[in-house]
Amino acid sequence: MNGWTGHILRVDLTSKTFKKETFTEEFALKWIGGRGFAAKILYDELKPGIDPLGPENKFIVALGPIAGIPAPNTGKAVVAGKSPMTGGYGDGNLGTRVAEHLRKAGYDALIVEGKADRPTMLYIEDDKVEFLPADAVWGQGTYETNDWIYAKYGKGVGVINIGQAGENLVRYAVVRSLEGRAGGRTGMGAVMGSKLLKAVVVKGSKPIPQADAAGMKKAGHDDLREVHRIDKETGWSIQSTNGVLAWCNEVAALPVRNFRKTHHPDAWKVDGERLNDARIATYGCPNCTMRCGITIHDDEGRESELDYENIGLLGPNLEIFDLPEVGALNYLCDDYGIDTMSGGCVLSFYADAIEHGAATGDYRFGDAAGSKKLLGMIARREGEIGDLLAEGTLRAALKFGRGSEAYAMQVKGLEVAAYNCKFIPGMALAFGVSPIGAHHKESWVITFELKSTSRESYGREKAQKVIELQRIRGGLFEYIVACRFPWIEVGWDLENYPKYFNLVSGLNWTLDDFWTVSDRIYSLIKLFWLREYPQTDRKLDYPPAVWFDPANADTEGPIAGKVLEYDKYDGLLQHYYDIRGYDKRGIPTRATLERLGLAEEARAAEKFGSLT
Amino acid sequence: MRITVKLIGPFIQAFGFSEKELDVPSGTTADSVLDLVAVDRSRPKIVTRNGRAVAPGEELRQGDRLVISPIYSGG
Repeated sequence: MNGWTGHILRVDLTSKTFKKETFTEEFALKWIGGRGFAAKILYDELKPGIDPLGPENKFIVALGPIAGIPAPNTGKAVVAGKSPMTGGYGDGNLGTRVAEHLRKAGYDALIVEGKADRPTMLYIEDDKVEFLPADAVWGQGTYETNDWIYAKYGKGVGVINIGQAGENLVRYAVVRSLEGRAGGRTGMGAVMGSKLLKAVVVKGSKPIPQADAAGMKKAGHDDLREVHRIDKETGWSIQSTNGVLAWCNEVAALPVRNFRKTHHPDAWKVDGERLNDARIATYGCPNCTMRCGITIHDDEGRESELDYENIGLLGPNLEIFDLPEVGALNYLCDDYGIDTMSGGCVLSFYADAIEHGAATGDYRFGDAAGSKKLLGMIARREGEIGDLLAEGTLRAALKFGRGSEAYAMQVKGLEVAAYNCKFIPGMALAFGVSPIGAHHKESWVITFELKSTSRESYGREKAQKVIELQRIRGGLFEYIVACRFPWIEVGWDLENYPKYFNLVSGLNWTLDDFWTVSDRIYSLIKLFWLREYPQTDRKLDYPPAVWFDPANADTEGPIAGKVLEYDKYDGLLQHYYDIRGYDKRGIPTRATLERLGLAEEARAAEKFGSLT
Repeated sequence: MRITVKLIGPFIQAFGFSEKELDVPSGTTADSVLDLVAVDRSRPKIVTRNGRAVAPGEELRQGDRLVISPIYSGG
């Protein structure tokens, strides 16, 4: 079966056993890899209602048919499990050499089950699997853990690991790799921690089965050079993702002061120009053509690798406009293994709750030293407040009460990324219908909203665009497993991806074939949510209430006096459901499920929740 | 009349400035400013006036802020 190794490695930490399993061509073609494999495996194997931080949950690393093969930006892996943040399906992707090494070891996915009896490092080298003690680095941050592993095996191996946040079951703990890579903000670091799994190290040496290896090698190498050339020509990497910060500030889309404000006169101090000026190094993922990890010295002289989401949510959102201070908060998140987005939102929520009398404490917006201290308390679950904030904004709001849930900036329990949608209906919808909770990786429509339609519109065209982007970003790139940046930021033709897929698989797929797979995966994930939340309704797809609150409207600037409107948002949501073939609760109808080849999965779901 | 033009991201290196004020005659349109600041018309871009998307033929007013940005796609 060219394009896939045809094997999954299943590891049981409880019994310290493993087995090499084979999957069928039908499974491969229906789910492709990455998110598709992860969603299907979790749907089939997890009993609804299990504790995501218990041994019954599974931690999955899933790769795609082009993962690890030299071609534009293929050095990425998907990590997945039931999310401790949301209780629903959770995943994320990160750049890591594991992508290449696990494939070369002969596997398209790794499933980790059970729970170890002591801190453990899983070492995989081709057909060998070892359960090694990790007591020496348990309690240490991700940087020290990485160094410890590199000292043993060299820097060429694939490594994913967790910091103290994952060990202490912080619900938004991430999985980390390389200098500044992180993924699985749905709490996949906590899932690893719950299994006492400190790290996974992989070394593979086998060829990856490919139908036309010579053709793929030529196309891959040619295209690596070409995308790199285009990036240099357009200059995208000069400011990388943080180029968008200044623009968000201009169009009133920047998160400031827990999203209360949409722009700030000091935002320029942490924008892309200043980041580029402060650059001391640049890092990227394996096979990267346009490295996005701009690295600076933080206020303690440590290297901190920054991007827009880190800066937006740990900077302006906390009203901190000193780049080295923002760098320090980012460094701490990376070292502890805390998701920078949720971490920033949790801190801003706490400051906001104190300001509105829902919580007590001396923490304030603009307090960099206090932010550092709190991140440490969260990572260690230290004290009552550290322990509570480690639960995320929604659970903290339920504890604080006094209406604070309205400004807990989350959807389905997962905090929003760094785009303030106070008056951006389409992007608010994108957050609302993201299948893992609020995340920008699924769909990003702001420029479309401003350039090709009107910001005020709640029209069907916005729902259609959200779906179009979900099929590509949350679909194709998450199951073929490659970074979306070449396509999305420098215009690398999307047709290149079926080209790579066909070269490795020997098939003749078009983009339209992939869109069916994307829709199938999104619908399956919806069924996962239905099983966990049988009483689910469309309110689960609503963005935070504060974005609808007229009292929260800007008093000056481009959107003065404007906020989202409930009736209109609900209409936009209905457009989305209608196009997708979902019912009024946002659940795929039986007809939709059958059209997508999910009749069997639908029958399984009906044991827990109803279908229409 | 006086307006401010701001470039975003790599346009700063490509077109040689970050932000500048311009004295332009009344009736100047958003589109014509692209030539005044020598922005390459072939580059995909989004232009906003005072934070809102602007039509090419829209006439500018005293004190306007015109922002010319590449089309970012949210990473």
